[in-house]
Amino acid sequence: MPTANSLVCFTNCKLALEDGSIVQRDLWIDEEKGIIVDAQKTFFEDGRRPDTIIDVGGSIISPGLIDVQINGAYGFDFSLFPNEDAKAYDDGLRMIAERIVETGVTSLLPTIITQQKELYSKLLPLLGPAMHPNSATLLGWHAEGPFLQPEKRGAHLPGFLLKAPKGVATFEEVYGAEALSKPSVQLAKRGNITFPGVRLITAAPEIEGVLPAMEELVKRGVVYSIGHSSASSEIARKGVLAGARLITHLFNAMPQLHHRDPSIIGLLGAPPLIVADDVPLFSNDPAAIIEQFDGADPTLHGAEALSEAPSPSQSPPLSPTRPEDKPISSISARIGKRERTLDGQGVAKKLAPKKSYAKPFYGIIVDGCHSHPHSVRLAYTAHPEGCILITDAMPMLDPHLTDGLHEWRDGRRVVKEGVKLYIEGTNTLAGSVVTLDTCVRNFVQFTGCTLGQALKCATYNPAACLGIENHKGTLRPGADADLVLLDAAGNVKGTWVAGKKVWPVEK
Amino acid sequence: MRFIIRDDPAAVGEYVGNYISRRINEFNPTPEKKFVLGLPTGSSPIPTYKHLIKLVKEGKLSFKNVITFNMDEYVGLPRDHPESYHTFMFTQFFSHIDIPPSQVNLLDGTVEDLIGECNAYEQKIKDAGGIDLFLAGIGEDGHVAFNEPGSSLVSRTRIKTLAYDTILANSRFFGNDLKKVPHMALTVGVATVLDAREVVVVVTGQRKSLALSKSIEEGINHLTTLSALQMHPWALIVADEDATAELRVKTVKYFKSIERVQDEVETMHRELKKKKVNGVNPNIIEQVPSME
Repeated sequence: MPTANSLVCFTNCKLALEDGSIVQRDLWIDEEKGIIVDAQKTFFEDGRRPDTIIDVGGSIISPGLIDVQINGAYGFDFSLFPNEDAKAYDDGLRMIAERIVETGVTSLLPTIITQQKELYSKLLPLLGPAMHPNSATLLGWHAEGPFLQPEKRGAHLPGFLLKAPKGVATFEEVYGAEALSKPSVQLAKRGNITFPGVRLITAAPEIEGVLPAMEELVKRGVVYSIGHSSASSEIARKGVLAGARLITHLFNAMPQLHHRDPSIIGLLGAPPLIVADDVPLFSNDPAAIIEQFDGADPTLHGAEALSEAPSPSQSPPLSPTRPEDKPISSISARIGKRERTLDGQGVAKKLAPKKSYAKPFYGIIVDGCHSHPHSVRLAYTAHPEGCILITDAMPMLDPHLTDGLHEWRDGRRVVKEGVKLYIEGTNTLAGSVVTLDTCVRNFVQFTGCTLGQALKCATYNPAACLGIENHKGTLRPGADADLVLLDAAGNVKGTWVAGKKVWPVEK
Repeated sequence: MRFIIRDDPAAVGEYVGNYISRRINEFNPTPEKKFVLGLPTGSSPIPTYKHLIKLVKEGKLSFKNVITFNMDEYVGLPRDHPESYHTFMFTQFFSHIDIPPSQVNLLDGTVEDLIGECNAYEQKIKDAGGIDLFLAGIGEDGHVAFNEPGSSLVSRTRIKTLAYDTILANSRFFGNDLKKVPHMALTVGVATVLDAREVVVVVTGQRKSLALSKSIEEGINHLTTLSALQMHPWALIVADEDATAELRVKTVKYFKSIERVQDEVETMHRELKKKKVNGVNPNIIEQVPSME
C-alpha cells in the first residue's frame, strides 16, 4: 500500500467564514505544509484527494483565535525580565504559547505595559515572530506605553511615562532603533513565518511628538493604536490621519462619551472613510472621494503563503487604510480612471490623489466587567466591522485557576471570583483573567450576534487590523491551517496549529 | 424505453440513486474492469447525487472503481468559476464521494485547441471501453447535454453555440447579465449519449413537461434532441408527477403498468441468477431484457 498523502479533509462540519457566516462545507488542509488548500484545485489540477478524513460530527471549524492584547498568562508576565535571563524569558513565552491553545487561541501578540525605558531594547528583540512545535504562533510585540497620557494611565506606573520631544528619535531611543527599522526579508522568514512580524504601539496622540513619530513609523510597518489618552474628538481624528488603525481597550483609559465632544469613542460614529479637512465628508461627487493610500512597500508583505490560488488582496501592514474595504473599491471602480472624472458639464478635471483612512478597529474586553454588556453592544452596533475581542489578560490568566485567594506581587494577594480579580480587601479590579473563547461566548450573549459574527471579531478582524489576513484569521486557501473546533455554543473542542492537532493532546 | 413516475424530485433522486447503485454493484467493478458512468449537471440530478452520496457514506456504494465522463462545460469560463461545471461537479458530488480524481473526466473549455479537446474526449471514452450508463437531464426545450434544438442526432463531442433560450435561462446564474453568460460550450453529442449501453434520464418539474411529452409521445425530431432516445435499446426515464402534466393519461397509465411487470420480471431473474451461480454459465442472464 502506498503511504497516505498529507491531505486532510474535515467533513461533516460548519465553517466560520471571514464574512461572519457559518456554512456547511468540507475543509481541506495540507498537514505537512500546514496550510489550507483549495479543495477543487487540488482535486482537478493536482489530481489528489485527502487520504485522511476527519468527521467532526457537525462541529464548527473557525480560524484559530487571535489575541492582540495579552499581558501574560499561567503565571508568566511578558513585561517582567527578572535577572535579565533571556533563556528563562524565552521559556516563559514558549510555555504560554504551548498552553494557551486550550482557549482556542492560535496566535497572540505579547503585550508589554509601561516599563522603565531601559527594558524595551532588551525585551523587544526577544519578541520577534516565532513558531514553536504544538504551540500558538507568537506574532511579534505590542508595546502599550510608555508614551501615554498620565491622567489616563490606569495601572501603568506614572514614573515611567514619557513624552517624545524628538519624535521618531525618542521612539528609537526607547524601543531601540533596530526594533523600529523596516523589517528585512530575513525577519520575514524567521521560524517559517511568512509575514514580517507584528509591531503594535499603543500611544496617546496628544503626547508631544507622538503623532509625527507615528506618521513615520506606520510607513515602516508599525501598527498604531490610540489608547491611554484624553484626546479630544479633533485630536483623535488627527491620530487616525496620522495612521492609527486601532483603539486600545475601548472605553477604558479614555474620556467618557460626551455628546458634544465624543473623543476617541466618537471615532466609532465617524463615516466609513475619514478624510482630510478640505474634502466634504458625505459627498455625492466621486471626485471628492480620496484615492486609496498607496505607500505600502511590497517587500514588507513577506513571502506569500504557499498559495495555490492567487492571493486575495491583503492590507499592507503599514497602510492606514484597508484596501479591501468595499467603499474604496467600489468608488475606485466607479471613478474608473484614477485621477480623472467628469464634472456636470462633461469637462474632465484633474484630481489630486489624496489619502483616505478607514475608521479604526477597536479592541474591547468582553469579560462583562471591563465594559458593560450594553456598552459592548453599543460599540458593536456602531462599528461592527472594526470590532476586535481582546482579553488584556493579566499573568493570572489560567482557566484552571480556582476561585479564592492567590499570591500576587510584592506580597499582595488577589481574590479571584469567576473572571473577576480583586485586590484583597478592596473592590479594585486587578485586571482581566478572561479567556478569549469566553469573550466570544459572552459577545454573542451581550450583542445578540451570531456565533459566526462573534468569531469574526476574534479572528478575521484582528488579522485584518494587523495586515496578516492572508495568513491568519481566515479559511482562505493558502492561509495557515490554524483552526479551532467549537460546539454550537462556542465551547472549544480542539485546536490545530499549522495543520497539527495541538489540543486536546491525543494520548 | 422504460418510464418510471415518482411523487416528487426527492423520490426520483432516491429511485435513480438506488438504480445506479444497483447497476454498479451488480457490475462488481475492479481496478482492471471499471464501471464507466456518464454524468450531467443542472438542478434535476441534484437529488440523485444527494442519494448516491448517502449510499457512499453508508458504505453501500463505492466509486473507487468507477470512471466518470461529464457531458459538457462552458467555453472560456475558468474551471474554478462558481458557475463552471467543474465547480458544480466538485461541490455537488465529487468532493463527497470516494472517487479518485484520476478517474474523473470533464471537458476543458479553457484550452486553446477546442476541437482537439473534443476529439480527445471521444477517444478517451472509447479507450475506457465505452459508457456503461449515461445519466442525463433534459432542458425545457428538450435538449440533452448542450445539444440544442436543431442539433444533429448523430452528433459527436464538439463545440456548440448555446441557444438564446439557454442563455436566457442560465443568465440567472450570472447576475442576470446576458453578456456574462458564456455563449459557447463543449458538449458530448447525441450519438455519444446513445452509444452508452444504458441511458437514464431524470425529468422533474412542470416546466419540463412539454419537453417530456415531445420526447416520448411524438416522433424523433432534431428540435427535441432527447427524442432520439426512442432509438436506444436500453433507456430509462424517471419523472416526477409534475413533469407528467403534458402527457396523455393513456401514456402514463401504460408505463405505470409496465413498471409493475418489469419489477416482477427483474426479481424473478435475480433469483434465477443466484441459483445459477454454480451453474455452467452465469453470464447468460447478465441483464434483464426490457419489457418494452
